[in-house]
Amino acid sequence: MSKNKMKKSLSYRLFWPIRNEKWQQITIPVASILISFIAAAIVILLLGKNPLQAFYNLFQGAGIFPKSSYAGYKSILTDFLSLLNAMTPLVFASLAVAVALRAGLFNIGVSGQMLVSGFLATIIVGYSGLDAIIAKPLVLLVGIVAGGLMGGLVGWLKYRFNIHEVVSTIMLNYIAQYVISFFIQMYYIDPISRQSKYISEAARLTLVNVEIANLKMNIPLGFILAIIIAIFIKFLMDKTVVGFEIKAVGSNRNAAKYTGINVGRNTVLAMIISGGLAGLAGVTYYLGYFSSIQPKVLSSIGFDSIAVALLGNSHPIGIIFSSFLVSIIDQGSTYMSSQAGIRQEIASVIIGLILLFSACGEYFKHKVSRLKDKEVDRKDSES
Amino acid sequence: MSDYIVEMKHITKRFPGIVANDDVSIGIKKGEIFALLGENGAGKSTLMSMLSGLYEPDEGDIYIRGEKVQISSPNHAANLNIGMVHQHFKLVPDYTITENIILGVEPISKFVGLFPYVDIRNANRKIEELSKNFGLEVDPTKKIADLTVSMQQRVEILKVLYREAEILIFDEPTAVLTPQEIDFLLGIIEGLRNSGKTIILITHKLEEIKKVADRCAVLNKGKLVDVLDVKTTSVNHMAQLMVGREVSFKSEKVPAQFKEEILKVEHLTVKNEDGFEIVKDVSFTIHSGEIFAIAGVADNGQVEIADAIAGLTKVSGGKIFLEGKDITNNSIRKRTETGISYIPEDRQSFGLFLDFDLSTNLALKQYYKKPFSSRGILNKQEFEQFGHKLIDQFDIRSGQSIKTQVRSMSGGNQQKAIIAREIDLQSPLMIFVQPTRGVDIGAIENIHNMMIQQRDQGKAILLISLELDEIMNVADTIGVIYNGQLQKIASSESLTTNEVGEYMMGAKHE
Repeated sequence: MSKNKMKKSLSYRLFWPIRNEKWQQITIPVASILISFIAAAIVILLLGKNPLQAFYNLFQGAGIFPKSSYAGYKSILTDFLSLLNAMTPLVFASLAVAVALRAGLFNIGVSGQMLVSGFLATIIVGYSGLDAIIAKPLVLLVGIVAGGLMGGLVGWLKYRFNIHEVVSTIMLNYIAQYVISFFIQMYYIDPISRQSKYISEAARLTLVNVEIANLKMNIPLGFILAIIIAIFIKFLMDKTVVGFEIKAVGSNRNAAKYTGINVGRNTVLAMIISGGLAGLAGVTYYLGYFSSIQPKVLSSIGFDSIAVALLGNSHPIGIIFSSFLVSIIDQGSTYMSSQAGIRQEIASVIIGLILLFSACGEYFKHKVSRLKDKEVDRKDSES
Repeated sequence: MSDYIVEMKHITKRFPGIVANDDVSIGIKKGEIFALLGENGAGKSTLMSMLSGLYEPDEGDIYIRGEKVQISSPNHAANLNIGMVHQHFKLVPDYTITENIILGVEPISKFVGLFPYVDIRNANRKIEELSKNFGLEVDPTKKIADLTVSMQQRVEILKVLYREAEILIFDEPTAVLTPQEIDFLLGIIEGLRNSGKTIILITHKLEEIKKVADRCAVLNKGKLVDVLDVKTTSVNHMAQLMVGREVSFKSEKVPAQFKEEILKVEHLTVKNEDGFEIVKDVSFTIHSGEIFAIAGVADNGQVEIADAIAGLTKVSGGKIFLEGKDITNNSIRKRTETGISYIPEDRQSFGLFLDFDLSTNLALKQYYKKPFSSRGILNKQEFEQFGHKLIDQFDIRSGQSIKTQVRSMSGGNQQKAIIAREIDLQSPLMIFVQPTRGVDIGAIENIHNMMIQQRDQGKAILLISLELDEIMNVADTIGVIYNGQLQKIASSESLTTNEVGEYMMGAKHE
């Protein structure tokens, strides 16, 4: 018996990290990613191209690996900063989804919350001509408050009238999209770009074309904040009474009520936090990555973030990594298409595959534990 | 050998941190009622789960009709004519009885010989026939959501009969039933045996075994203690084997010493969601050092009284005073802090967070206060120390101590955890709702003793129970509820069990 246990099969050793429940949090997403890259490689092979080349180009474009040549004022560093710039709103949006998920709520209104906060920050601060030192913090504040109120409204509707948050957030997405579109078209339109007028540089959360060491860089100030906020959310959820109550409500509403936790208040609170994070996503997107708003369009970030949050196990630190990966593929796609001659849409296919496989994470977990049980059974019967 | 329809030989099953079954061998004859007796966590359900295909044994073999089998799934078990009636019903509330029964084995007919469809009408007829044959009359077109608990159980039984089960396993079938319903069910079980079925009855209620079972296997801590012939064995002996020591059915208690008034309920009225008055004008008081029990048949408003006092249900009329303070409109937490401990009826969906660990669940009523947290930051170390303290003090058993996920604990130990948590609050008023439901004899005795001990320490105790024996055993004062109204309040010495029963049925009024 002991000899049998010592001699572990190759497959056992290979899959050990996935079997071990402690490591599953990390190994399952990593396995999902690997599988999706393999699937993407097959797609690229079918197109008659070299998948390794394509992936390498992808990482080059995102500023992870150096390109063979750079235009003036550009280098790998500028590419990498653009990557962080694009990633920032995705981190905030995914955190928004994750916090709501912990409370047992499904916030698919992140896009709407982003738009409202982005729009309000644009008209209140973006066109105000305030100094940067006041304008930038004010943009963040408006973003948090607007998003928080919008999220809070959803929580309140659920608590007061028992309206399911999925329904109310979808409806609010439409309302935000069209009402704001109306205002932009009527009052804030730039006749040439057909978007809202550009905001002042002072209000923008990304410093554009900063010249350092003969390079022109876009420095995303919001990125530093995103990391700080992610760590703060982790602390909030794991170590504080507020986080405990939110998780309790998400885990079992009846027991939470019995315990004396105010279920309604925590539902609203979780949605305020979620909405506030979505608000930060909104301002770093519309007043950072971009500097104007395209009318009648909802950002897809609000929806991608659901899958990114799942890929990161709804864990704040996991979300930083999953956002990073998804942003790499997104950002690198242009370079890949020009270098490898693979259409840019393939990048979307890869992202789609990753998200699809990450959503299957629970299934993998189930399969692995079944396999484990079977193996144990077999061993016992052998001995 | 061919004597036995089911044989389980040297079965061992391990779970992390625990050996659920340790070298258990039993044989069950065709056409008998075979009872499995044991405390919670003794391994009865695990043993039967292996027979019904939910688990596979780590060691040992199973023989059905003399043939060695490896039962790999519930479907496989069904093919071997084994069916299990689960303690927690597995029914779809929005489906009709027929739809639930045929789920997975739908009879398919072809419309115009071409388009397949589920032949509900035929199935309805078949199920009606089946239900009449076994004395389990149901209306097959009714929805599960509209049925009482005992009717739902009938559906569960019909489900296994429909799958042509010859060996029926009943897992604690009477835990959710009223005394009358229990008698009816036991009658059905006997009827099934008489028509040639083999019955395995998992229970820890000795009277039931004495009433219907032919033979009985006693399990203790995963090991088989003995297989007994029920007719020639006394109830006391069975209990002793099961617990591993002498059990007294009558709790020892000194006469009650009533002191100051703790709880006063005045003209309490509670409406349910449909606006129907489920508690009507109920008034009573409980003193320090008194166990006040509310007796009644299920769903007569007694649970709502407890919920109203604890704050889980809104009061639509009347007042509640705790130590002279009006708490009628206070929040749940305010009431807990004013001095109410509450052991709820449904421990799994109200009393505990099954996905949280044991130490968290033990600190559930105090996590927001010092020393468990300060300035909103949780102190995990304090949770752990407190957890260890209560685990030792109340002998709560679990696989991985404070880190155990509560979901994996046995029902009796889950209940111990709740009672430990609530006693530790040192509240002047303690509410126990069905505290011994689904709990084994040893633990029942333990819980009764704890209640009496708390009473002797000057607590006021409100006990709500469907078990009349329990009420007669521990209560000092009994209030009998029928149809939302208290019919009678009197000291327990002045009432006989029969009298209480009559008030419970509404046959006798004040």
